[in-house]
Amino acid sequence: MTSHTAERSLGTDVQVAKGRRRRGSGWHAYLFVAPSLFGVLAFLLLPMVIVLVLSLFDWELLSDPTFVGLDNYRRLAGDGQTWHSLGVTIAYVLLCIPLQTVLALSLAMLLNQRVKGVRFYRSLFVVPWMATPIVLALVWGWIFDPRDGAINSALALVGVTGPDWLSDPTWALPAVALVSVWQYTGYNMLFFLAGLQGIPKELHDAAETDGATPAQGFWRVTLPLLNPTMFFVSVTNLIGSFQVFDTVYAMTDGGPSHTTEVINFRIFQTAFKEFDFGYAATLSTLLFLIIFLVTMAQVRFFGKRTTYDLS
Amino acid sequence: MAKRILLYAVLAVGAFVSVFPYLLVVLTAFKTQAQLSGTAPWLPGLPPTAENLAKMLAGDFPRYLLNTAVMTALLTAGQLVFTTFAAYAFARLRFRGRDVLFWLFVATMMVPSAVTMIPLFLIMRELELVNTWYGLLAPYVLGTPYGIFLMRQFFKTLPAGLEEAARIDGAGPLTILLRVMLPLCRPALGTLAIITVISSWNSFLWPLIITSGDDTKVITVAIATLKQGIGVDYNLMMAGSLIALVPMVAVFVFFQKHIVRSVVLTGLK
Repeated sequence: MTSHTAERSLGTDVQVAKGRRRRGSGWHAYLFVAPSLFGVLAFLLLPMVIVLVLSLFDWELLSDPTFVGLDNYRRLAGDGQTWHSLGVTIAYVLLCIPLQTVLALSLAMLLNQRVKGVRFYRSLFVVPWMATPIVLALVWGWIFDPRDGAINSALALVGVTGPDWLSDPTWALPAVALVSVWQYTGYNMLFFLAGLQGIPKELHDAAETDGATPAQGFWRVTLPLLNPTMFFVSVTNLIGSFQVFDTVYAMTDGGPSHTTEVINFRIFQTAFKEFDFGYAATLSTLLFLIIFLVTMAQVRFFGKRTTYDLS
Repeated sequence: MAKRILLYAVLAVGAFVSVFPYLLVVLTAFKTQAQLSGTAPWLPGLPPTAENLAKMLAGDFPRYLLNTAVMTALLTAGQLVFTTFAAYAFARLRFRGRDVLFWLFVATMMVPSAVTMIPLFLIMRELELVNTWYGLLAPYVLGTPYGIFLMRQFFKTLPAGLEEAARIDGAGPLTILLRVMLPLCRPALGTLAIITVISSWNSFLWPLIITSGDDTKVITVAIATLKQGIGVDYNLMMAGSLIALVPMVAVFVFFQKHIVRSVVLTGLK
């Protein structure tokens, strides 16, 4: 079948080439791009426009939408529940990102030495990454179980009574964040390891000859040269963490007493439990704005020192 | 020497922590209710029982597994086909507006999926595609900007003169893509395939929103309702988890080198 279409197109292409000389591949290119372009327009850009427009309406699905101007945004300003969930989201991000970045970089540096079985360890560290988050929520729910869970059973061996992790307002959010750290540390390590292997050994040798301590070598040579990797890892991780949903949904359902109610969970509740679609769109706009600003801040922070080749 | 021992000790602890939850799933899935409360969670229940697995597989679970497999296969096929075409055009063909369009694609990589969920749902509702296969698949079957980015990076690494010979022989872009480029793309396509398989299999929020009936229910949605359905029967829950995890573990074991390659493809090496 493939050869059939190929041959037919070969015929038409020769004709086009005859008529238009060299730049005959033009219409082919548009045809090649068309399906993806349609996807991007219909399922990414159109939704963005709809979110913005809808945020100016009041709509509960059953009646017609009514235009309310900036009312939703005024409501947002006084909506303590949403600002609370934003605080929860930021706390979640701060609990996972630094930890999973530092752990990933440390593991990568350990593996970047002459270690036996690098590939074996590398594979094992990445194993958590492909686990289904919603399944992880159940599995870690079991690990955190106050009575028979692995953590409290282990603590009991040394005579400590562990808390009721997921029902404890203090521990619920760190517990959920830990799942993310467990899942993504190894995958991030892959990127750092690739980055470290891209640093020429001569640079470290030169630094050593100049009398640099290992610490200086790390801060002055390794870290600056890892800049592109650091940029990629932190941008993708932050964008992902700001949208966390699955683990919260299945581990804590936003509780106890809203302490794990992240912003994406609140958007979901507002839309699909309260059917307040206009306001949910306003909250989505807020989330987009935050992610956009955080990403821009990172672009500036890593700024000119990053050579990120897109050409 | 002491340093080496410490190094391997840290690596071993890391490896153990990475694998432990999986181990726990297996151990718990094969325990009876009595063994569950009678043994430590990290010890096996003896003799092991297949009853939990049998119970899960006797219900609607196989059906949800099949739905998930169908969804994953279709999304992956769509991603591979449409992404290859678009990425090839962006990487190796000249046409008006190419760079502007490509930057549009890159920019949309930044659009958070959480933000588009509600409008996507409303679009599907308007088209009366809620709770249908079309609604479930449509937003993702045409490929993702990330996939196009990845494949374009790969096409760029192929030598420039590659198409010339074929073009002189009179081959058009489609022939060149299918006959000349595609055979060289196998590793990159493998990487894209595995990433898509894993993300499709794991997807939860969109299926949760867009589907409600058994005909389109996928494994993640079924797993999420397990907790409400069977309370705290951890052995049953872990049996369900095991069933959902095994396909991905298999994919990982067989294709793990492709995952490592995805890192290289992003151009960060």
